[in-house]
Amino acid sequence: MELIPTYCYQCYNGPDPILVKVVDGFAVGVEPNYALASKHHSGGRVCSNAYGLIEKLYNPHRVKTPLLRTNPNKGRSEDPGWKEIGWDEALDILADRFREVKEKGGVDENGYPRIALTLGAAGTPEGHFGLLPTFLSTMFRWVGPIDLTIGTGQGVKCYHSEHVYGEFWHRAFMVVADLPKTKYLMSFGHNDVGSDGVTAWRLAQAKGEGLKIVKVEPHLSASAAFADKAIFIKPKTDAVFLFSMIHVILHENNWREVCDLEFLKKMTNSPYLIGPNGYYMRDVETRKPLIWDPIDNKAKRYDDPSITDYALEGKYRVDGVEVGPNGKVWEHEAAECKPSFQLLIEHVRKYAPEYAEKVCDIPEGTIREVTGEFLKNACIGMTVEVDGERLPYRPVAVELGKTVNNGPGGYETCWARTVLLSLVGALEVPGGAIGSGSRLNPPYEMRWMSVEPNPDGFMLQHFNPTGKEGWPPKVMFRGPFTALCPIMGSRGWASGIAPFTLAWMFMDDPPENWPNPPPPDIWIIYRANPLRTQWDPDLMERVVKKCPFITHITYIIDETSWYADLILPDHTDLEGYQLTSIFSKHWYSLWEHYGYILKQPVVKPVYNTKDMTDIIVELMDRLGLLVEFNSRVNRGSGTGIPLSGGNYDFRLKEDEKHCVEEIWDRICKAATAMLSNGEETYGLDWFKKNSAYLKPYPKPEKYLYHVFKRRGLRFEVPYQESVKKIGAELKNRLHERGVNWWDKQLEEYQALPHAKDFSKLWDEYYLKVGVNPEDFDMWLIASRSPNLAWTGNVSNRRMLNAAARALDFGGIVISSKAAEERGIKHGDTVIVESPFGKRESKVIVREGQRPDVALLIGQLGQWIAPYAKDIPVPNVSDFIKLDLDILDAGGSSCDLTRVRIHKP
Amino acid sequence: MTRWGMVIDLGKCVGCMTCTVACECENFLPYGISWAKVADFEDGKYPHVKRTFLPTLCMHCEEAPCLKVCPTEATSRREDGIIITDYEKCIGCRLCIVACPYDSRSHVEKLELPAPLSLMKKDVRSRYQLLKDQTASKCTFCAHRIDKAKETGKMPGKDPEVTPICVNTCVGNARYFGDLDDPESEVSKLSKSDRAFVLYEEAKTRPSVYYLKRR
Repeated sequence: MELIPTYCYQCYNGPDPILVKVVDGFAVGVEPNYALASKHHSGGRVCSNAYGLIEKLYNPHRVKTPLLRTNPNKGRSEDPGWKEIGWDEALDILADRFREVKEKGGVDENGYPRIALTLGAAGTPEGHFGLLPTFLSTMFRWVGPIDLTIGTGQGVKCYHSEHVYGEFWHRAFMVVADLPKTKYLMSFGHNDVGSDGVTAWRLAQAKGEGLKIVKVEPHLSASAAFADKAIFIKPKTDAVFLFSMIHVILHENNWREVCDLEFLKKMTNSPYLIGPNGYYMRDVETRKPLIWDPIDNKAKRYDDPSITDYALEGKYRVDGVEVGPNGKVWEHEAAECKPSFQLLIEHVRKYAPEYAEKVCDIPEGTIREVTGEFLKNACIGMTVEVDGERLPYRPVAVELGKTVNNGPGGYETCWARTVLLSLVGALEVPGGAIGSGSRLNPPYEMRWMSVEPNPDGFMLQHFNPTGKEGWPPKVMFRGPFTALCPIMGSRGWASGIAPFTLAWMFMDDPPENWPNPPPPDIWIIYRANPLRTQWDPDLMERVVKKCPFITHITYIIDETSWYADLILPDHTDLEGYQLTSIFSKHWYSLWEHYGYILKQPVVKPVYNTKDMTDIIVELMDRLGLLVEFNSRVNRGSGTGIPLSGGNYDFRLKEDEKHCVEEIWDRICKAATAMLSNGEETYGLDWFKKNSAYLKPYPKPEKYLYHVFKRRGLRFEVPYQESVKKIGAELKNRLHERGVNWWDKQLEEYQALPHAKDFSKLWDEYYLKVGVNPEDFDMWLIASRSPNLAWTGNVSNRRMLNAAARALDFGGIVISSKAAEERGIKHGDTVIVESPFGKRESKVIVREGQRPDVALLIGQLGQWIAPYAKDIPVPNVSDFIKLDLDILDAGGSSCDLTRVRIHKP
Repeated sequence: MTRWGMVIDLGKCVGCMTCTVACECENFLPYGISWAKVADFEDGKYPHVKRTFLPTLCMHCEEAPCLKVCPTEATSRREDGIIITDYEKCIGCRLCIVACPYDSRSHVEKLELPAPLSLMKKDVRSRYQLLKDQTASKCTFCAHRIDKAKETGKMPGKDPEVTPICVNTCVGNARYFGDLDDPESEVSKLSKSDRAFVLYEEAKTRPSVYYLKRR
């Protein structure tokens, strides 16, 4: 028996080190990699999905060789007529297509790229796609940009507002509790067990050390079994709950006593004075924002060393200027200004718990109770030592889940969470809420290094242009993030969280006064099934049928494959090579170490499949781009690992075709030499035995507070001057062009956002399409199964069996009260119906759920994908029609709609 | 003497089913058979409802009802307390299934072998395939791992190589394994804590699996 080290990377918590047990040439089992347990973010544990890799490797439904479509007609009832072909033929076909595009020009007359690439969820393809990024950079040079914005459910369906605004406020693509230090965790719909895989280990350890958890969600998720208190909130009202907590702190407590005044005054923009037009009042000469010094009784620049104290309340007469959108300047003499904190106090006055009770359907006493507990546990004034640095200790955190932090209301909810944390100083400090990693602001390896100052005392941001110069962008993307989503910027994963919804909607039906986006000439899809994971399946099918050439890189035939022209089966997770960095992944803030880990084949390929890097090298060779490609590999383009440096040189010969092993061997050597400053060099053979090369992580740096303090920076909360300004500029640009269809989204750009019952937007939408929302009396929501690796395992029989053990899996879940009212019994077949879709489903009756809520676990409803297609459960996407009315300013919506459920 | 036992902290079980899947792989179990199940249930009425995960497995009882009813002596107790089944002797009469108050045994009607067992040649497969058609299967506390302790000098419960896979892989770190007869062992101490209890104590089976109540 052999135990071969590699990694599991099927969800955003990866890469997790594993050992694969191999007997007689067969992979038969998985164990944690015990040798790395003390270095891994979750004690070296692996979750159930790692075991699913064995089943995936030997899945009898795998695509066993490249396939070519023979039936030119595409549709649900059209059998593609797959013809098995060899790799040479398959890659020749694809290379010919690339050459055709090159001849036409990489972008069309409107600036849209003719080639598009879609990647699967949550960055997990990163752990398997080999040198794809180097391929993209080579292709960019050769043919122009590739459109990455025709997305799957990822991006717009994910923690969208958290990604966008979390990065903006504190470089937090994801916001996580600093477990196990956290003592009081409020979770608004964040299904830790379903989403966070093995990191539930951290939750369990914290629980063992006395962590108190309050779950606020419409149903008892798997994570709720862990909770000390469950609060059944009405969907899409979370923002109001959080606003009400802020109200309780600021209006029902003496905030001067219960808040972390030191943090508010010195680490936020709370003392910044706001002028009559809603922008910072600035010093006339330096244009720096002003604060009011209540001891010296005068306004001073925020960074004036003579400041003795900062006013957080009151109003003051101040001379200065405001700088608005597009550089517009208002000059003031003795204008009335207020600190932004004063405006916050006034802003949340209306959100009393009695108001929230009506909106959220939660007793006012409960909101007051949890706010009191939150304050009590915040430990204001306490500090803790982290590697010799003394930092504030604030063991309270708030996590937000899907449907809460994406779609309309996402920004407002994320803002309220961040403000709530800042009131007690629990932002980016030990025990509080921290960013798990940065994906929009390089360098991704160390998020604190992305922190650069701007003149206003905050982090420098890299918004997309909204001025007359630079807008609209020269290259248009079908998911127009550079044109419509300035806060996303255009670096890193920005294209990965672009408004994919708009890409699909506009390819189907172009909007007014907007360049008509055609389907791409070549659409490549890697490890994704957008036909099942994106909303509005009818629209999806219409668009996909218009695509002239689709290549699906996949291990099984699923709904998306059904419309493809060419199927390329790359190696599964246990068959290919890749060196992956640990410190640029989602959870690197939780690792105590950083470095690289190897994925390696544990057995010979089971079928005629290829390593992704091999596929790429073959394509580069066919296109005559090998020299350019090798040169880019040598420079570290796409890998972040240059193959030569000051004291090492492992460069590839640029005019030769190299095998996968040689390429990764050189990358391994360069990576270790780079990290050890040339002191250590380990190649592929070393990694095959030892799995990972790791260095200790500078712990204090994972708390951005520490970095901000050192650099004299502040978090840009509570007042959102930049958001307000950039929104106004974007509005100007769009209106100049005659675009008014984005006006509703532009309302999101508020300096102090307003909370409301965001579910009413869906009611309004139903009324717009001529339907009475009251006729659809249940809110349909979705939640994840811990065993399906974010839908990646729906064709994995063993994992489906595991998923089916949960009480809420395998049917549409309704409460006993709802069932009784409809004469429905557990196990019945029912009809689930929205104005846009009607499906049969088995029904599951339970107690732990709001009577006005119906729940679907997972993204099922497959009609092609093996095993999944046999489960009698629909997909929430089947009931949703994409429409601008239910999109937020990032183009995101959520798994939410009104349905009715009845007997057939 | 040694009596291997397990303690499961219900306050740390996250309900991820990793134990279930890990056990299935480790023991080459066919589809439909699970030895390490996790029950998922609710108590109470809305809105005062509690969801609970309860991991179950063979309790390796000191007074094992399954052992008493087995007509062919296929079920036996090892010196270390582990209850095992000899599938060559088992006739699939299901008396043990009826007798077990913990629903820990599963009848194998017709094996549906998962890959890679199904891909192996018969002689290779026979080295790993434990079960046969028409037998009553159950957890062994991963006896095949524990049995490597002597030759390797390692300690079950401390060294993962000789510890049941469900313990090694438990995401919540909720499972503890060791010698219940050793008063200094962690499991021995935990089994005597205020939070400790056994399932169906009234059945007087004296299980070797203890649970810790949630705090």
